[in-house]
Amino acid sequence: MGAKPTLRRILGLYALYARMDLDFLLRDAGFSLLLIASDLVSTLAAVSGVFLLTWRFDGVSGLNRWEILFMLGLTTTVSGLFQLFFASNNAGYPSRRIGRGQLDHMLLQPLPLWLQFCAEGFLPFTGSQNFLAGLGLLYWAMHGLGLHPGLTWWLSLAGYLLCSLACLAGVSLLWSTLAFRWPIAFEEVSDTVVNDLCGQLSQYPLSILPLALQWPLISVIPAGLLAWFPACALLGLPPLGLPALFPLFLALALWALALFAFRKGFGYYVKSGSNRYYSGGFRN
Amino acid sequence: MKSLVLTAKMACIGKLNDGVFPLFAGFALKIVALVPLVFLWRGLAASGADLGGLSLAQLLSYSCLSAMLQRLLNLRTAASDWNYDGQLGDLFRQPLPIFGQIIAREAGGWLPELALFSLPMALFLPLLGVDLWPKTPWFFPSLLLSVSLGFAVDFLFVCLAIRIQHVAWAIHSIRFAIVSLLSGALIPFDLLPFSLGKVLQWLPFGSLAAAPLSLFVGSGDVAAQLAAQLLWNALLWPLAAFLFAKSRERMVSYGG
Repeated sequence: MGAKPTLRRILGLYALYARMDLDFLLRDAGFSLLLIASDLVSTLAAVSGVFLLTWRFDGVSGLNRWEILFMLGLTTTVSGLFQLFFASNNAGYPSRRIGRGQLDHMLLQPLPLWLQFCAEGFLPFTGSQNFLAGLGLLYWAMHGLGLHPGLTWWLSLAGYLLCSLACLAGVSLLWSTLAFRWPIAFEEVSDTVVNDLCGQLSQYPLSILPLALQWPLISVIPAGLLAWFPACALLGLPPLGLPALFPLFLALALWALALFAFRKGFGYYVKSGSNRYYSGGFRN
Repeated sequence: MKSLVLTAKMACIGKLNDGVFPLFAGFALKIVALVPLVFLWRGLAASGADLGGLSLAQLLSYSCLSAMLQRLLNLRTAASDWNYDGQLGDLFRQPLPIFGQIIAREAGGWLPELALFSLPMALFLPLLGVDLWPKTPWFFPSLLLSVSLGFAVDFLFVCLAIRIQHVAWAIHSIRFAIVSLLSGALIPFDLLPFSLGKVLQWLPFGSLAAAPLSLFVGSGDVAAQLAAQLLWNALLWPLAAFLFAKSRERMVSYGG
């Protein structure tokens, strides 16, 4: 595992991955820009459905069109942050690394696993488009809402973004630990949880759903914590009578649970492994 | 033809190789995606919003049928992935037409989902008050034309995947997001603002989902929808065949 990493070493790793990302961008700029544009278009298309509906009906479920746009801006920003820090090398999708038997590769590196997962995903040049688009949507929504917030509000926004990012990464890790035991069946579970469940459901104001569905969506599958809860809280309407710090508490709980499950799963993995590769290089 | 039927049968059995659990996980995701829409439509109807001439019952039928037939209405064969992982090359070693093999494999792969998800949904949803009886029998030819057009569009995307190489996932993501929105599979065109629906219904994507779904719920103009579907089939199939023939020489697969 090597010596305990220093802050200088950690920042050096981020710089290294930034440099590699820049190299990728410059190696074939046309190709890279095509990828960036396609990613941006698919992200904006994904949130356009709810946006167009709320525009037509001037909002839904007690939120007006600008408040919904603010919520969509938040979900785009959070997914953009996730992409920016965790998209490369499947760092944010640990079930793929675990399920494919690629954790062995990481164990050979002279770095702790957590640092590898943190640094390997960094894509500042080819992965920042959704984050920037999200900021653009937030600006547009704030302009429409006539918001002129003070420093506390901005700090709250930054805090909610960090908590949402932590929730997303935590829930991805938590579900990924199932791949230790069932590598093929759960290889894609982190992508399913992050993109298909949290990503998709975070586009809706969860107040349209009955309470029995709202609670699971702010805990087990924390889609509501990516955008709906923070948007309501930042606009002065905290939902469900919960404290404004609820996302922080849930992020801490998710991470505690995820680390516990990871240790358990890792204990199983070191005994059984995950041999998914044929000698020809194909996975089964 | 017998060989293609056997190919479809193999694809059907292949879908069950990993057991039914992965299939049911996919079905659960479809239901999860459907639930917010159902409550959204209910909420809008309860608030007395103008639903573009559609009733709540029509909207529920539209969204439920869209979820049940998602594989057919937003059709995506595995050909793009096969180009990426090398399996597309295997098709050229079989004594069958390439298009025929891809279509047979895809259609065979639908059967478990139709039997284990769509059919139970069709039996269960009417108990919840969702009307799943087509308002016109023209829905069925429209669905056939939609599937046919879906294959043509898919082959065009395969050509694009071959052309720009090794970014099958990027093409998949952009395509899924755009087609879901522009085809009317997610939101009926009647509910879109800025008269977008009037434009989108004449694009090829509009003939994929919005045409059969609107005929199913009785909100579409039968003659116009079928004419548009026939026209796009007549235009895009020759184009797909031509571009695919040109793309064969560019095909590069490493596997992995």
